[in-house]
Amino acid sequence: MNEQLIKDITKMVVEKLQMNNDQDQQNISLYPKDPSGALTETSIASSPVGEVKFYPSNVTTRKRENVNLQTQSEKASKEDDKEKYFTELRSKTPARIAVGRAGTRPKTKTWLQFRYDHAAAVDAVYGEVPKEILDRLNFFQVNTRVLDKEEYIRRPDLGRRLSDDSKQVVLDKCKRTPKVQVVASNGLSAKALEENLEDVYLSLEQSLKNLNIEMGTTFYVDKGRVALMDEIGELLQPDIVVILIGERPGLVSAESLSAYICYKPRIGTIEADRMVVSNIHKGGIPSVEAGAYLGTLIQKILKYEASGVSLVRKEG
Amino acid sequence: MINFTPKKETIISAGIDIGTSTTKLIISRFSLMNTAGTTHVPRIEIVEKEVIYKSPIYRTPLKDSSTIHVSEIEKIIHKEYTNAGITSNQIQTGAVIITGETATKQNAKEMLHYLSDEVGDFLVATAGPDLEGIIAAKGSGAYEYSARSQKIIANIDIGGGTANIAIYKDSELLGTCTMHIGGRLIEFEGDRIRSISAPVQRLLESQGISLNIGDSKTSPGIQLVVQLMVESLSRVLKNEVNEIDQLLILGHTPNWKEEVDTIVFSGGIAECIYNHEQDKQAIAGYDDIGQQLAKELQRNERLQSFGWHEPIETVRATVLGAGTQTTEISGATIQVSPNDLPIKNVPVYNFNFQSDLQTGLEKFDEEIRKAINMYDASREGQNFALYISNLPYMGFRDIQKLSESIIQVMEKRPNPLLPIVLVLQTDHAKVIGQTLLAMGVRQSVICIDQVKVDHGDYMDIGKALDSGVVPVVVKTLTFHSS
Repeated sequence: MNEQLIKDITKMVVEKLQMNNDQDQQNISLYPKDPSGALTETSIASSPVGEVKFYPSNVTTRKRENVNLQTQSEKASKEDDKEKYFTELRSKTPARIAVGRAGTRPKTKTWLQFRYDHAAAVDAVYGEVPKEILDRLNFFQVNTRVLDKEEYIRRPDLGRRLSDDSKQVVLDKCKRTPKVQVVASNGLSAKALEENLEDVYLSLEQSLKNLNIEMGTTFYVDKGRVALMDEIGELLQPDIVVILIGERPGLVSAESLSAYICYKPRIGTIEADRMVVSNIHKGGIPSVEAGAYLGTLIQKILKYEASGVSLVRKEG
Repeated sequence: MINFTPKKETIISAGIDIGTSTTKLIISRFSLMNTAGTTHVPRIEIVEKEVIYKSPIYRTPLKDSSTIHVSEIEKIIHKEYTNAGITSNQIQTGAVIITGETATKQNAKEMLHYLSDEVGDFLVATAGPDLEGIIAAKGSGAYEYSARSQKIIANIDIGGGTANIAIYKDSELLGTCTMHIGGRLIEFEGDRIRSISAPVQRLLESQGISLNIGDSKTSPGIQLVVQLMVESLSRVLKNEVNEIDQLLILGHTPNWKEEVDTIVFSGGIAECIYNHEQDKQAIAGYDDIGQQLAKELQRNERLQSFGWHEPIETVRATVLGAGTQTTEISGATIQVSPNDLPIKNVPVYNFNFQSDLQTGLEKFDEEIRKAINMYDASREGQNFALYISNLPYMGFRDIQKLSESIIQVMEKRPNPLLPIVLVLQTDHAKVIGQTLLAMGVRQSVICIDQVKVDHGDYMDIGKALDSGVVPVVVKTLTFHSS
């Protein structure tokens, strides 16, 4: 085979892939007006070669029925009403409702959209947070005891502990006993951090500054789990740990972020003392507003010196 | 055991209706609760409304035919507060509305504002025939029925002085119209006519009917007038207004285009039809054409061509609407300066960003100038609320840009020291409020969101409640249909 040709083709394919990569932004529209599956159909251009015309084999002249034009227009307006009703229903939920069907199966468009969303969810788990974002926010990076994604998924316990090197780095670089220690981690969706981390963080930082609440040195942990905050609590002895972590992606949104908060988390902290603000994404609470709200929530936790169920109990 | 059912906060709301013939008051209790899941940002909603006290129906005290007896009204209100077992500082929201012909009395406006300050911390003063119709439709159940039935509903609230029509479809207001139709337009004394109001005089003249003060109660002219009124009403409902109807229409002609399916009557005249208050006390003996009007409404053939729906409240529809249907609750994440609340009667200016921040910001300056020209033309320092709608999805840096512009444009107001009042369509109030504070804004900031307002509305914002939200009363006069 012609090696040059193979090289050329490979180059073309790679270039094409890269080009596509640039436009890979998932266009999320929750609560759509149109049926889910907003992929645009391309019509097949008729080619001059192989153009076939079909002629009916047995032409029967049908008797002209007495078609009442009015009932036809009535039918059309009924269809319109139905479509209007469906549009209204669709605007109330991001679920795939009123999408129609083809026989017993979903339409191709709907099916492709479903596959696309599923693929986006998988990508979110296996993706990485772009380094530029972490650099821009001035976060340093540490690791958990997990070695790769497969292990991360199989061994949640390892995602709850920092590696020995990382512990040392954290101790060396971070302010001790701050009021609030913020940590970011990709968790199960790197995409969530890519889309929301910067806005949530900057807004939270501003909110805490307004409230005169001292912040520690924020850092990023690769492949962390929520309960990692316990070990960080032990190491740095902050009053509050906030961990901004990517949520398990779903088919509605693969970029949803959660903020888990706990008052004085230490090894052995029970789950009931953690609290969470979830659904931070374009279709949930806007990330900037979430950051602003977190500030107020932190102020309340500091006031009652409790979080989670204990906070509810103390609030009375 | 600890009770983990969500905490409820209750607030007391008052509704006071001062109408042409009657004045009444209701007190209700709203329960507020966080309806969002525990892992979500709170969403506070009114989950329950309970009427805890209904006053008897009083005659509206007048000093003379053109002045309201303010101190008498105040006395009635304070007496009823005592009967209900509350004090005026317990009332956290509600509205006092002045309706019908009373609104045209000389001292109506001063009285309204005096009362709204005097008899409650945050009682909103409202007036205007369109608003009356809207509030009555909410109190009579017509508004709610329109959402359930998918029909086009006309609520017709007829009291002593005016008939206020409000048309609803699927809880959306399609239009309003007010007419000079009411019981007190002709009053009797003994067997004789005591007074004939000006609109009726005009009607008599145009029709060549002779009816004078002192004529017998049974003169055939009276029945003619009542018939004319009801026929006119039926034409207005069908949107077929003629010259006679123009004499009876107060303000604008019908402004809806849709065909009305069902009619609901409320107000004092509806009471004459349905007798809801029957066993409580006789409210007959008003000595006017009310009863005749009610009979004629039931007899008229054109009105029978509509579906009829019985109201849940008759004579108390407006007061119920004012007391229970005027208050909204803001979004839970907001930023308000506690010392500057409540604020009352601020006009709303809508600035639509049309999903493009940059272009919007470029136009910002000019828009604010327009707002000032519109609401503070004489540069006296009348404040306004800026409603920011259709913002694009914004990151933190966009928020900063927007906040910076807000500070700049607000400095250009004739009195730049007035609080900055912002209403956001999207859930961004807290972050924008905090950003303004972080930027060291010198004015105080009232920044709320998730309240439906529109250009030209007037709004009142109450004190922050324990749940962190503020009660808001929007006095809307706009129509959402095309």
